[in-house]
Amino acid sequence: MPSNSSRRVSKINRRTLISGVGGLALVHATGSKFGMPHIGSAAASDPIKIGMIYAKTGAVADQAEYMAQGSMLALELRNNSLLGRQAEVIWLDESTPQTAQQNAERLIGEHKVVGIVGGSLSSSALAVSAVVKKAKLPFVAPNAAAIDLTGRLCNKYTFRLQPPVDVHTRVLAPYCAGLGKKWYLITAAYAVGQDIKRSFTEFSAANGGTIVGSDEVPINTADFSSFILKIRAAKPDVVVGGVPGSDISTFLKQWNELGMKGKIPFAEIAVGATDLWGVGPEAADGLFTLNWYYKNPNNPPAEQAMAASYEQKYKRPAADKAWMGWMAMNALLDSIEVAKTTEPGAIVNALENWGVQRGNIKAGYRGFDHQMVNSLLVVGIKPKISDKWDYFDILAETPSTHAEIETVFGTEAQSVCKMDTL
Amino acid sequence: MFDMIVSQAMNGLVLGFLYVLIAVGLSIIFGMLGVVNFAHGAFFATGAYLALMLSREFGWAAALLAPIITGLIGILVEVVLIRRLYGKEPLLGLVLTFALALFAEAILRLIFGAAPLPFSPPKFLSGFVEYGPILITKYRIVVLAVTVFALIAFWALLEYTPFGRIIRAGSRDAEMVGLLGINLPVVLSSVFGVGCLLAGLAGMLAGPLWTVNPSMAAAAIMPAFVIVTIGGIGSYAGAIIAGILVGIVTAMTVQFYPDWSSAAMYILMAIILLVRPRGLFGERWERFE
Repeated sequence: MPSNSSRRVSKINRRTLISGVGGLALVHATGSKFGMPHIGSAAASDPIKIGMIYAKTGAVADQAEYMAQGSMLALELRNNSLLGRQAEVIWLDESTPQTAQQNAERLIGEHKVVGIVGGSLSSSALAVSAVVKKAKLPFVAPNAAAIDLTGRLCNKYTFRLQPPVDVHTRVLAPYCAGLGKKWYLITAAYAVGQDIKRSFTEFSAANGGTIVGSDEVPINTADFSSFILKIRAAKPDVVVGGVPGSDISTFLKQWNELGMKGKIPFAEIAVGATDLWGVGPEAADGLFTLNWYYKNPNNPPAEQAMAASYEQKYKRPAADKAWMGWMAMNALLDSIEVAKTTEPGAIVNALENWGVQRGNIKAGYRGFDHQMVNSLLVVGIKPKISDKWDYFDILAETPSTHAEIETVFGTEAQSVCKMDTL
Repeated sequence: MFDMIVSQAMNGLVLGFLYVLIAVGLSIIFGMLGVVNFAHGAFFATGAYLALMLSREFGWAAALLAPIITGLIGILVEVVLIRRLYGKEPLLGLVLTFALALFAEAILRLIFGAAPLPFSPPKFLSGFVEYGPILITKYRIVVLAVTVFALIAFWALLEYTPFGRIIRAGSRDAEMVGLLGINLPVVLSSVFGVGCLLAGLAGMLAGPLWTVNPSMAAAAIMPAFVIVTIGGIGSYAGAIIAGILVGIVTAMTVQFYPDWSSAAMYILMAIILLVRPRGLFGERWERFE
C-alpha cells in the first residue's frame, strides 16, 4: 500500500513534471538572457575572465545597469582583448549581501576570474571584500560609500572609487550650513545611511548646528508620506537625505506631492543622475554631490569619448554610474596590461600606482587605504528643465588641487585602515 | 502631539486603502481559485507601466484602460497557465506563480529598462487640502474615493448578482457548481481577471505616488500577503479591515518608533495570528482542510 507521500507524488505524472521543469528552465533561460546581456560562456577556458557583481533587481538595479554597461564598455573599447588574449565579462547578481558573497565565491572558484568589479551597495561590497581578501584577488568597488570599506575593514585586494560618506559630507555639509542650522536627517537603515547620519550629526555639532529630527527608513520604502509629515511638523531649515537608489526618487515625488518642494531645501550626498531622471522635472529638487556629469565641460577627452561611445551604443547619455563602472573597470584592465600578467599580486601593485589626470589633480588609489582620490561635483537642480536628461547645474568641482585633497579626503595619519600585505 | 496623531492616522488610512486594493485581488484569487498568486505584484506593476504609457501617449483619461488591459492579461494567464493548477499540489502553484513573477519583472526590464520612469498625477489633481492638522493631497483623496468605490462595486457584484452567487458557490464546492451545468472554467477565468484588474487599478493609482520601476512589485506584494493573512485568507471584509489596520499602524509607528516602521506590520500579523490563527475573519473552509 503506497504511503500518503507517495500517493501525493504520484499525482504529478511524468508529463506534468517534464512540462514543469521545462517551463522553469525556459523561464530561467530567458530571464537570465534578459538580465545578463553580453555574458560569455563560462565553459571556455582560454579567455581572460573578469567578474562583475552588480544588482539585477531591487532598489539599485537601475544604477547597477548603468555601471554594468560602463564596465562592459571599457572592455569593448579594447576590442574585448587583454594581454593579447580574448577577454570576457561574467556578470552575477547581488540581490543580498549573502548572494553577493556566494557569487563572488562562484566567480573565483567556478569561473576562475582574474579580478572582480562591482558591489552596487556597500553591504554587498563589504561582503565581496571579505571574500577577495581570503581568495587574494583584486576587487574594485565603484559605488560603495560605506566608510569601513577603505577604513576599518580595508584590505590589500580591495580598491574603491566612490569617495566614502565622510568625504561627501565634507563637500556638501558647508552648503547645507549656508542654508540654515536646523537640520532634519532622513537616512536608510543600512551601513551607508548610518554613516551619513553619523557624519552629518558630527559636522552639525562641530559647527553649532542642531539636529531637529532624525529618522532611519527601511530600504525599498514605498510610502514616505508619514515621514514627510513629521519633517513638516519639525520645521527644519534643511532636510539631509541618505536614502539610496529608487528610494530617493519615491521620496522626492512624495515630497513634491505634499507641497514641500521649494519650501524646505533638500540635500543628499552621492546620488545618481538616474535617481533624479526617475523623479521627473516637476518633482526634482535638491542639492547633491555627484561623481561625474556628462555635461561637465571639464571632463577629460578620454571621458568625453567614452560618453560619446556610450550614447551611440545605448541611445541615452552616460549617467554618472556608467562613468563609475567604466572607470573602475578601466583601472583593473589598465593594471592587468601594466602588470603584463594576471597574477593577483602584480595587478594589485599596478592598481596602487594607477592614475589618470583629471584637471589639476591625478585621480588614483592611495597606497595606504586604496581609496581613490578625485574631485566631486556639487550640483543643484536647474530652475527650468527643458532636456529630459539635463537636470543639473554644476555649482562647484572640489577638491580641485592636491592641497585640497588631504583636507577633504583626510591624511594617512587620520586613516583607520591598517593595510595588510599581499 | 494630538494634531500629529490625527494627521498620521488620516495618512495611514489613505495608505491602508491603497494596500487594501492590492490585497483584495490576492485574497479573492486565493479564496475562489485556491491559488496563492505570487505573481500578483507583477500585475500591479503591469498596471502602473500601462497607465504610464497610455497617459504619455493619449493623456490621463487613457490611463483608465490600464486596469482593464491588466485584467485581460490576467485572463490570458489563467487560461494558459493557472487553470492547469486547479486541484493540484499547492506547491506547484507557488512555484509557477513565483516563476511568473520573475519572468514578468524580466520582461518589464527588457521593455522599459531598469531605471525608474517619471510619472506624476494629472495636473488638475496637483496640490493638497489642509484641514486643521490634516494635510492630504488631492490625488490621495481621489485614490481613496476610487478605492472605496471599487471595493463597494465588487462587494455588490459578489452579493447581489447571479455571477457573484456562482463565484461564491464555486469557491466552496466547485464540483457541485459544475454538476449544475454552470461553465465553471469561464467563471474562474473571470475571477482571476477581476483579481488582476484590481491589482492593475492599484498599480495605476500607485504609479504617480511611488516609483515606477520593474522592482515595484516587491514593494506591493509583501504588504498584500500580510494583509491577507491578518484579515483571514479568502475573506473580503478581512482584507479591508486588515489593510486599514496595517496602514494606520505603519503610520503611527513612523511617528513614535520610526526605526520599527518596516517591522510594524509583521509584528501586528504575529500578534493577531497568536490570538487568532485563522486571521481576523478567517473561516473554516472545507476545501482547504
